[in-house]
Amino acid sequence: MKNKSLSFWLFMTPTLVALALVVFVPFVYGFIYSFSDWNGLHATEFLGLDHYVNLIQSENFLSAIWFTIKFAVVSIVLVNVIGLGLALLVTQHLKVSNLFRTVFFMPNLIGGLILGFIWQFIFVSAFDSAGRLLGWEFLQGWLADPTTGFWGLVILNAWQYSGYIMIIYIAYLEAVPKELIEAADIDGANPFQRFWKVTFPLVAPAFTISMFLTLSNAFKMYDQNLALTGGGPFKSTEMIAMDIYNTAFSENNMAFAQAKAVVFFILVAAVALTQVYYNKKREVDL
Amino acid sequence: MNKSFLKKGFIASMLTGVLVLGACSSGDGNDEAADGQTVVDIFQFKVEFKDQFEQIVQDFEEENPDIKINVQTVGGGNDYGAALKSSFAAGNEPDIFNVGGPSDVDEYRDYLADLSDTEAASQALEGTLDGVEQQNGEILGLPYNQEGYGYIYNKEIFEQAGVDAESISTYEDLEEAFATIDSQKEELGIDAVIALPAKELWVMGNHLGNTFFASDFDNSIVEAYEADTIPLERSQELKRMLDLQNEYSVQPVLSLDYSQQVEQLFSTGRVAVIQQGNWVYPTIEQMDAEFAENNIGMIPIPVDGLEGHLPVGVPNYWGVNKQSDEEVQEAAKQFLDWMYTSDTGKDFVLNEFKFIPAYDGYDEEQIADPLSKEVYKYSQEGNTIGWVFLGTPNGWQEHVLGAEMQRYLSGDASWDEAMESAISQWESARK
Repeated sequence: MKNKSLSFWLFMTPTLVALALVVFVPFVYGFIYSFSDWNGLHATEFLGLDHYVNLIQSENFLSAIWFTIKFAVVSIVLVNVIGLGLALLVTQHLKVSNLFRTVFFMPNLIGGLILGFIWQFIFVSAFDSAGRLLGWEFLQGWLADPTTGFWGLVILNAWQYSGYIMIIYIAYLEAVPKELIEAADIDGANPFQRFWKVTFPLVAPAFTISMFLTLSNAFKMYDQNLALTGGGPFKSTEMIAMDIYNTAFSENNMAFAQAKAVVFFILVAAVALTQVYYNKKREVDL
Repeated sequence: MNKSFLKKGFIASMLTGVLVLGACSSGDGNDEAADGQTVVDIFQFKVEFKDQFEQIVQDFEEENPDIKINVQTVGGGNDYGAALKSSFAAGNEPDIFNVGGPSDVDEYRDYLADLSDTEAASQALEGTLDGVEQQNGEILGLPYNQEGYGYIYNKEIFEQAGVDAESISTYEDLEEAFATIDSQKEELGIDAVIALPAKELWVMGNHLGNTFFASDFDNSIVEAYEADTIPLERSQELKRMLDLQNEYSVQPVLSLDYSQQVEQLFSTGRVAVIQQGNWVYPTIEQMDAEFAENNIGMIPIPVDGLEGHLPVGVPNYWGVNKQSDEEVQEAAKQFLDWMYTSDTGKDFVLNEFKFIPAYDGYDEEQIADPLSKEVYKYSQEGNTIGWVFLGTPNGWQEHVLGAEMQRYLSGDASWDEAMESAISQWESARK
């Protein structure tokens, strides 16, 4: 441990101090406040586990968790499948590969709120007009009910995030040694077998990263949710982050919101760590 | 030796850099006050009149060189509440800030100075201080302005359809008018009679809801604030009105929002009526100034037994921070008094802010737009329904009542189920 010298710690200090001040200290405070009647200004009473008991019975919170989980599962699958598909497409040495890469990545450069409003326009106005022209009823009335609200969010998220995940897959796909593919080819493997038996295990580390990113991204989503549906209609598309925000700042129930946030943290941490653990086991080293 | 010297030098410069950065962030960005000046920090929420407000502050500073005012404006609605709370929590307390009603007053009780000795308070119109007056006679806020809402209609379309808007007073009249207009949709070139923005919880929960539950609390925001339950005696009337709007609205209502309602549909003449308040005037004016000036009017939402009554209320109050220095408090009061009671201030309030004054002694002829004039007229005649929705449990009016109305509209719940759920959530919030 030669690098843990004085200079190591000196260099680490600014980062550690910043991290402690903006992450650890507020986190501990928040944790403590969740046991009190804190209203954002002062706490007067220690309430013990009251908030946590109420929280289990809170229909809104439970339905927000359920909605978020559903959303996360569907969007993780979609984002990764589309991301990998795009990556395979642009690593085929086509002439337009570079153009495609840029285009696919671009949605990721637009802020979530703006994307939300753009897609709101597409779903509400453009879909409606198209539906009317073509006589397709399923294109009309988007975002006006829970189902289309859900799929609207999924589509938005997949559209925005697939390009980013694509970049990660590209990096791993390009690192797959040509010899292995060639050897498999000579051994008589068909293209599907080459992909499934050779390429796929070698890009497994990319799955670990991509799934972790898409998972935490899906769980923590707020701005797209706010801009696209605002949680409506009747809170049916409200995700956990938004439920916590509304509890804190609309209902002015700071401590209760804090308790929700603690549960949210535990949930996300548990899911993410489990996922990384299992994926790590499946990775293959060269 | 040379190497370690370099290394040490590098570390030293890094640390200095960090220290300098740290030191910078502790200085605040406000303009430095000259010697002897009293500095008043204002933290306000009305983004719409930010520029005009800064102008009036400048005028005040010119008249009172010993006072320096810093204005900070943070976006409307929830964001303001959150931002205000964090600035208090961070110890960076403003001297003048906004409170919305009894629940804000309760929360910031320790920070609100008594303003009953100000001239503005004595000039405030009857009823405009209800939300901030305490039982011991203390007045903890000064009203911003008055606002009112009802059905805003397109005069030209009504005329073409042969409907006289002014004669609509009962629900039956309204129903008939809607049906008449609806039957001539093609000829009038409109999409539908009305646009119901059911996506906006506040339009349904705050405004439509308030029209029918204000009478539960005798139009008193304080009574609503203290009530353990809400009887919703006019629940059936509320349902009837919501159904009527929904029936004649552009569909689907649940994804229709405020900007579609006001800008895309009403300002362009694609619907004949919207349920909104005088605050939409600047928006309509931007879309079509001529239309806004000559072609729109407002009528009350018919309520049985209260026909011809318009819901008028005070959306926000100015509070002065009790924890600030004595002289700062005095300067703050002086500014508020000057803004609402001096001739320069009055002129500004009417012509630049385009406010409906909540104070006596204004020349009503000068009220800028037709909607505000209409609201002021009802307010003067006392034909008003109170704004009690800021006295409901925090967020109830939007996130419970508004959301339950959405649930009913979507067919997910019957009206009775939706309202029972709303009532029980009120009760559990007030336990």
